[in-house]
Amino acid sequence: MALGEHDGRSESRLGFSLGPDHVSFDVDETVYPLDAIYGGCYLFVDRCFVFLTRPGPRVVNVRLTSRGPATLAELDALGGEFVNELLSQANRLRLSQATARIREYYTAAALRAAASAPSVDDLLAELDAEELGDDPLEIAVPWEEKTGNKETDPK
Amino acid sequence: MGRITFDRSLYNPDAVEAAAAAYAEYAEITLERAGDTLVAVVGAVTGGDRQTVESSFCNLVLQETVVRMRRAAASEEE
Repeated sequence: MALGEHDGRSESRLGFSLGPDHVSFDVDETVYPLDAIYGGCYLFVDRCFVFLTRPGPRVVNVRLTSRGPATLAELDALGGEFVNELLSQANRLRLSQATARIREYYTAAALRAAASAPSVDDLLAELDAEELGDDPLEIAVPWEEKTGNKETDPK
Repeated sequence: MGRITFDRSLYNPDAVEAAAAAYAEYAEITLERAGDTLVAVVGAVTGGDRQTVESSFCNLVLQETVVRMRRAAASEEE
Protein backbone atom coordinates (compact mmCIF):
# COMPACT_ATOMS: atom_id res chain seq x y z
CA MET A 1 0.00 0.00 0.00
CA ALA A 2 2.78 2.41 0.90
CA LEU A 3 4.79 3.85 -1.96
CA GLY A 4 8.03 4.71 -0.24
CA GLU A 5 9.43 4.74 3.24
CA HIS A 6 11.78 7.33 4.72
CA ASP A 7 12.94 7.28 8.35
CA GLY A 8 10.04 5.13 9.54
CA ARG A 9 7.51 7.40 7.79
CA SER A 10 5.95 6.58 4.48
CA GLU A 11 3.50 8.00 2.01
CA SER A 12 0.37 6.04 1.19
CA ARG A 13 -1.16 5.61 -2.24
CA LEU A 14 -3.73 8.25 -1.24
CA GLY A 15 -0.99 10.75 -0.43
CA PHE A 16 -1.22 10.50 3.35
CA SER A 17 1.81 10.53 5.58
CA LEU A 18 1.95 7.24 7.47
CA GLY A 19 3.72 6.52 10.74
CA PRO A 20 3.90 3.33 12.81
CA ASP A 21 0.48 3.94 14.39
CA HIS A 22 -0.85 7.07 12.74
CA VAL A 23 -1.83 8.69 9.49
CA SER A 24 -1.71 12.44 8.90
CA PHE A 25 -2.57 14.80 6.08
CA ASP A 26 -3.19 18.48 5.41
CA VAL A 27 -6.68 19.80 4.66
CA ASP A 28 -7.18 23.02 2.73
CA GLU A 29 -9.78 25.12 4.55
CA THR A 30 -10.73 26.92 1.34
CA VAL A 31 -11.96 23.56 0.01
CA TYR A 32 -13.19 21.96 3.23
CA PRO A 33 -14.57 24.49 5.76
CA LEU A 34 -13.53 24.11 9.39
CA ASP A 35 -17.10 23.13 10.31
CA ALA A 36 -16.83 20.17 7.92
CA ILE A 37 -13.47 19.17 9.45
CA TYR A 38 -15.03 19.32 12.91
CA GLY A 39 -17.96 17.23 11.69
CA GLY A 40 -15.62 14.55 10.39
CA CYS A 41 -13.52 14.61 13.57
CA TYR A 42 -16.61 14.27 15.74
CA LEU A 43 -17.56 11.05 13.96
CA PHE A 44 -14.05 9.60 14.27
CA VAL A 45 -13.17 10.30 17.91
CA ASP A 46 -14.66 6.98 19.01
CA ARG A 47 -12.60 5.05 16.42
CA CYS A 48 -9.20 6.66 16.82
CA PHE A 49 -7.34 9.53 18.46
CA VAL A 50 -7.72 12.75 16.48
CA PHE A 51 -5.43 15.76 16.80
CA LEU A 52 -5.49 18.97 14.78
CA THR A 53 -2.65 21.41 14.16
CA ARG A 54 -2.29 24.42 11.92
CA PRO A 55 0.88 24.24 9.82
CA GLY A 56 -0.07 27.36 7.86
CA PRO A 57 -2.85 29.85 7.24
CA ARG A 58 -6.06 28.18 6.00
CA VAL A 59 -4.44 24.76 6.35
CA VAL A 60 -5.33 22.20 9.01
CA ASN A 61 -3.25 19.10 9.64
CA VAL A 62 -5.31 16.12 10.77
CA ARG A 63 -3.52 13.33 12.61
CA LEU A 64 -5.40 10.08 13.21
CA THR A 65 -3.75 7.66 15.63
CA SER A 66 -5.04 4.11 15.93
CA ARG A 67 -6.23 2.95 19.33
CA GLY A 68 -4.37 -0.34 18.89
CA PRO A 69 -1.83 -1.90 16.55
CA ALA A 70 -2.65 -1.23 12.90
CA THR A 71 -1.03 -2.08 9.59
CA LEU A 72 -0.13 0.59 7.07
CA ALA A 73 -3.01 -0.58 4.89
CA GLU A 74 -5.45 -0.18 7.77
CA LEU A 75 -4.11 3.31 8.52
CA ASP A 76 -4.38 4.22 4.85
CA ALA A 77 -7.99 2.99 4.84
CA LEU A 78 -8.73 4.98 8.00
CA GLY A 79 -7.42 8.15 6.36
CA GLY A 80 -9.41 7.38 3.21
CA GLU A 81 -12.61 6.96 5.19
CA PHE A 82 -11.95 10.22 6.97
CA VAL A 83 -11.50 12.23 3.79
CA ASN A 84 -14.63 10.64 2.31
CA GLU A 85 -16.53 11.74 5.41
CA LEU A 86 -14.94 15.17 5.05
CA LEU A 87 -16.35 15.46 1.55
CA SER A 88 -19.77 14.35 2.75
CA GLN A 89 -19.70 16.87 5.62
CA ALA A 90 -18.65 19.69 3.27
CA ASN A 91 -21.46 18.85 0.84
CA ARG A 92 -23.99 18.68 3.66
CA LEU A 93 -22.82 22.04 4.97
CA ARG A 94 -23.06 23.71 1.56
CA LEU A 95 -26.52 22.22 0.97
CA SER A 96 -27.61 23.42 4.39
CA GLN A 97 -26.37 26.93 3.67
CA ALA A 98 -27.94 26.97 0.20
CA THR A 99 -31.37 25.96 1.50
CA ALA A 100 -31.26 28.06 4.69
CA ARG A 101 -33.54 30.80 3.31
CA ILE A 102 -36.21 28.43 2.07
CA ARG A 103 -36.18 26.52 5.39
CA GLU A 104 -36.55 29.80 7.25
CA TYR A 105 -39.45 30.76 4.96
CA TYR A 106 -41.33 27.49 5.53
CA THR A 107 -40.75 27.64 9.30
CA ALA A 108 -42.04 31.22 9.41
CA ALA A 109 -45.07 30.28 7.27
CA ALA A 110 -45.86 27.35 9.58
CA LEU A 111 -45.57 29.56 12.68
CA ARG A 112 -47.80 32.23 11.10
CA ALA A 113 -50.41 29.59 10.21
CA ALA A 114 -50.30 28.20 13.75
CA ALA A 115 -50.64 31.67 15.25
CA SER A 116 -53.65 32.55 13.10
CA ALA A 117 -55.47 29.23 13.66
CA PRO A 118 -58.96 29.80 15.16
CA SER A 119 -59.58 28.78 18.76
CA VAL A 120 -62.31 26.33 19.85
CA ASP A 121 -64.43 29.25 21.03
CA ASP A 122 -64.10 30.88 17.61
CA LEU A 123 -65.20 27.66 15.91
CA LEU A 124 -68.23 27.28 18.23
CA ALA A 125 -69.21 30.90 17.66
CA GLU A 126 -68.93 30.30 13.92
CA LEU A 127 -71.21 27.26 14.20
CA ASP A 128 -73.74 29.26 16.21
CA ALA A 129 -73.71 31.98 13.63
CA GLU A 130 -74.36 29.61 10.72
CA GLU A 131 -77.86 29.51 9.24
CA LEU A 132 -79.20 26.10 10.22
CA GLY A 133 -82.84 26.77 9.32
CA ASP A 134 -82.59 25.19 5.87
CA ASP A 135 -82.63 21.39 5.89
CA PRO A 136 -82.96 20.30 2.27
CA LEU A 137 -81.98 16.70 3.09
CA GLU A 138 -84.40 16.62 6.03
CA ILE A 139 -81.71 15.45 8.38
CA ALA A 140 -83.52 16.98 11.33
CA VAL A 141 -86.75 15.08 10.48
CA PRO A 142 -87.10 11.82 12.47
CA TRP A 143 -87.09 8.57 10.47
CA GLU A 144 -90.61 7.67 11.57
CA GLU A 145 -92.03 10.93 10.29
CA LYS A 146 -90.23 10.56 6.98
CA THR A 147 -91.46 6.99 6.30
CA GLY A 148 -94.80 7.35 8.06
CA ASN A 149 -94.38 3.92 9.66
CA LYS A 150 -93.42 3.90 13.33
CA GLU A 151 -92.95 0.08 13.44
CA THR A 152 -90.41 -0.09 10.63
CA ASP A 153 -86.92 -0.73 11.70
CA PRO A 154 -84.60 1.58 9.73
CA LYS A 155 -82.00 -1.21 9.62
CA MET B 1 6.14 15.32 31.35
CA GLY B 2 4.31 15.94 28.10
CA ARG B 3 3.41 19.23 26.51
CA ILE B 4 0.43 19.33 24.19
CA THR B 5 -0.01 22.50 22.14
CA PHE B 6 -3.53 23.43 21.12
CA ASP B 7 -3.94 26.09 18.45
CA ARG B 8 -6.58 28.57 19.58
CA SER B 9 -7.95 28.87 16.04
CA LEU B 10 -8.81 25.15 16.19
CA TYR B 11 -9.50 24.47 19.86
CA ASN B 12 -11.79 26.44 22.15
CA PRO B 13 -9.87 27.49 25.31
CA ASP B 14 -12.95 26.77 27.44
CA ALA B 15 -13.02 23.27 25.98
CA VAL B 16 -9.36 22.74 26.93
CA GLU B 17 -10.07 23.89 30.48
CA ALA B 18 -13.18 21.69 30.74
CA ALA B 19 -11.26 18.64 29.49
CA ALA B 20 -8.37 19.34 31.88
CA ALA B 21 -10.84 19.47 34.77
CA ALA B 22 -12.46 16.24 33.62
CA TYR B 23 -9.06 14.50 33.51
CA ALA B 24 -7.96 15.76 36.92
CA GLU B 25 -8.26 12.28 38.43
CA TYR B 26 -6.14 10.69 35.67
CA ALA B 27 -3.37 13.24 35.24
CA GLU B 28 -1.95 16.45 36.63
CA ILE B 29 -2.67 18.94 33.86
CA THR B 30 -1.75 22.59 34.00
CA LEU B 31 -2.50 25.07 31.24
CA GLU B 32 -0.19 27.76 29.89
CA ARG B 33 -1.40 30.46 27.54
CA ALA B 34 1.15 31.48 24.92
CA GLY B 35 0.00 33.73 22.09
CA ASP B 36 -2.20 31.85 19.67
CA THR B 37 -1.71 28.60 21.50
CA LEU B 38 -2.74 26.99 24.72
CA VAL B 39 -0.26 24.48 26.11
CA ALA B 40 -1.39 21.65 28.35
CA VAL B 41 1.46 20.41 30.50
CA VAL B 42 0.73 16.86 31.53
CA GLY B 43 2.51 15.81 34.72
CA ALA B 44 2.09 12.59 36.64
CA VAL B 45 -0.38 10.18 35.09
CA THR B 46 -2.45 7.68 37.07
CA GLY B 47 -4.76 4.92 35.91
CA GLY B 48 -3.34 4.25 32.45
CA ASP B 49 -0.33 4.66 30.23
CA ARG B 50 0.76 8.21 29.44
CA GLN B 51 0.19 8.04 25.69
CA THR B 52 -3.37 6.74 26.01
CA VAL B 53 -4.28 9.30 28.67
CA GLU B 54 -2.81 12.17 26.64
CA SER B 55 -4.47 11.03 23.40
CA SER B 56 -7.82 10.53 25.15
CA PHE B 57 -7.48 13.98 26.68
CA CYS B 58 -6.92 15.45 23.19
CA ASN B 59 -10.00 13.64 21.92
CA LEU B 60 -12.08 15.10 24.74
CA VAL B 61 -10.76 18.60 24.02
CA LEU B 62 -11.76 18.22 20.37
CA GLN B 63 -15.16 16.82 21.29
CA GLU B 64 -15.83 19.66 23.73
CA THR B 65 -14.73 22.18 21.10
CA VAL B 66 -17.16 20.77 18.52
CA VAL B 67 -20.02 20.71 21.02
CA ARG B 68 -19.36 24.33 22.06
CA MET B 69 -19.04 25.45 18.44
CA ARG B 70 -22.38 23.82 17.55
CA ARG B 71 -24.12 25.27 20.61
CA ALA B 72 -22.83 28.74 19.69
CA ALA B 73 -24.04 28.32 16.10
CA ALA B 74 -27.48 27.17 17.29
CA SER B 75 -27.86 30.11 19.68
CA GLU B 76 -26.84 32.54 16.90
CA GLU B 77 -29.59 31.11 14.64
CA GLU B 78 -32.16 31.69 17.39
